[in-house]
Amino acid sequence: MSTTKDFIIEQLKSEISGYKAEISEKSVGKVLKVSDGIALVSGLAEAMMSEILTFKTEKGEVAGVALNLEENQVGAIILGDCTTIKEGDEVQATKRILEVPVGEAMIGRVVNPLGEPMDGKGKIETTKFYPIEKIAPGVITRASVKEPVQTGIKAIDAMIPIGRGQRELIIGDRQLGKTAIAIDTIINQKGQNMKCIYVAIGQKESKIANIVAKLTEAGAMEYTTVVLAGASTSASLLYIAPYAGCAMAEYFCDKGEDVLVVYDDLSKHAVSYREISLLLRRPPGREAYPGDVFYLHSRLLERACKLNKDFGGGSITALPIIETQAGDLSAYIPTNVISITDGQIFLEPDLFYKGNRPAVNAGLSVSRVGSSAQIKAMKKVAGKMRLEAAQYRELAAFAQFGSDLDVDTKKKLDRGQRLYEIFKQDQYQPLSVEKQVLAYYALINGFMDNVPVEKVREFEAGLYKYADLNDAVLKQIVTKKEIDAEIEEMLKKLIDDYKATVDYLIK
Amino acid sequence: MKISAQQYAKSLYDSVIDKNEKEVKAVLKNFVALLGRNRELNRADEIMAIFVESWNKAHGELSAELISARELGKVTRDMVVSYLQEKTGAKTVTLDETVDQKLIGGFVLKYDSKILDASLKTSLDELKNKISN
Repeated sequence: MSTTKDFIIEQLKSEISGYKAEISEKSVGKVLKVSDGIALVSGLAEAMMSEILTFKTEKGEVAGVALNLEENQVGAIILGDCTTIKEGDEVQATKRILEVPVGEAMIGRVVNPLGEPMDGKGKIETTKFYPIEKIAPGVITRASVKEPVQTGIKAIDAMIPIGRGQRELIIGDRQLGKTAIAIDTIINQKGQNMKCIYVAIGQKESKIANIVAKLTEAGAMEYTTVVLAGASTSASLLYIAPYAGCAMAEYFCDKGEDVLVVYDDLSKHAVSYREISLLLRRPPGREAYPGDVFYLHSRLLERACKLNKDFGGGSITALPIIETQAGDLSAYIPTNVISITDGQIFLEPDLFYKGNRPAVNAGLSVSRVGSSAQIKAMKKVAGKMRLEAAQYRELAAFAQFGSDLDVDTKKKLDRGQRLYEIFKQDQYQPLSVEKQVLAYYALINGFMDNVPVEKVREFEAGLYKYADLNDAVLKQIVTKKEIDAEIEEMLKKLIDDYKATVDYLIK
Repeated sequence: MKISAQQYAKSLYDSVIDKNEKEVKAVLKNFVALLGRNRELNRADEIMAIFVESWNKAHGELSAELISARELGKVTRDMVVSYLQEKTGAKTVTLDETVDQKLIGGFVLKYDSKILDASLKTSLDELKNKISN
């Protein structure tokens, strides 16, 4: 016992003697006015843009960010409890531009935009801090997008494929499954060598609790970080949340790894920025949004990129989510973000209520990277699917005249119906790419033409189970990533064998 | 058109610099009359404060506040003055000194909108924070 006591005393003595007091000059100012999460501060002549300021209140220190640098005063947003700040309180400049802790310790945790833990699992030990605002990589440092992000959602992987380094917008009205697409994508990244970051901006905390529970159940929290700025947080934290998530992603990207970032959703982000700008007395523009609301999103999404080998070869894929009102794609914020991203996944209420879930509109959805982000096997079977799906939609109006149509049209209608049946998928059931290739191969080569439309999903589920039992074909597709003559033979045999076991085929 | 306190102070400064006493008196009479016409006499304090600041800056005069735990000797006072002169390039420094025993030791120096906290109390607080984390 005495050794531990002596050891402690020795340590304490050496700690004290080795301690060097850091005395340096600090810039100070005084609070002139505090209201609604904004503080006006006098003094602080050398404040920098986006510099962290410390408000010294009776109950401790509160952090703030300088956003308005005027001749006589500095306008700052308060990142914390603004009720403790009084007029006349001292404000110190920290000479640090707004930054968040980043690192491996963030994986598996739920944090707030300042990096503080929200999941009750203890302190987060990090050594590195990344600035929240960063200039996006330039043209020379980028490489073209070639590798796929397998979302596991059939409609997306076949018709609107996403690549690593792409920005794909998920847009639609409320309650159509936008977050569901993002969560299924995250769950499907297991074993795909991707880190995931889910940024929840202004979402209900109960919804996020459900999502975290689902992700933990699926084992996705082993590679996912959740950045949470819930509905009741102040506008300042909502404003910096997506940038904080991007900074955390950049840490992994700089190490050469691939990251998927989901921003759910950017409409609420724009609203919180509008709130801050109006309180800072910046002039309102269209729909009362400030003039730089385009720049707000463009500088965030431009940081998602694929870097070339000289810079590590890492990538950040962004899936921003925008909520439209009554399907209005021509509103201000949706048109802004559509012009920034490399494509959009458009969800429609008609399809949703008809039972086609995920309710992806194949005609209006697009991926500007397209088939360069698909493995060769998928490209071969799914190449024409988007066109066929869109054409079927146009022809579907004639479906009521079933008997009055020519043979070709009837064939197209039959094929289209089965196509739409195949695209239906349950939530939290992402499908691996080799099974998708199998199903599409069966469809486009006419193997499903004699399966009744209402039995297609049952047929498909049975086909996957059968393929799992005789999994030589699936393994081949995974290794070779393309369909050569040998694999094609194996596929044909597998499907024929399975069809022999099924009894509901149309004669 | 609203005229800011800064503009009043600057124009006052420009009109009184390098003038003799008689001219300054005349200028000041006109200036007060101007303020009265514009109904801005209540901002006189504000304008005077900015005038003093710009005068000090232009003439290299600096006023600073020094709070120390004990009365400072001449040597220490001269060191502080020369530190300020080096840092700000001011020619004359006026030190407003107070003694506050709560600092335990050392001093706190405030000037412009900067603060230099070299008090023993703050160092001990920082040491406490460092060890307890």
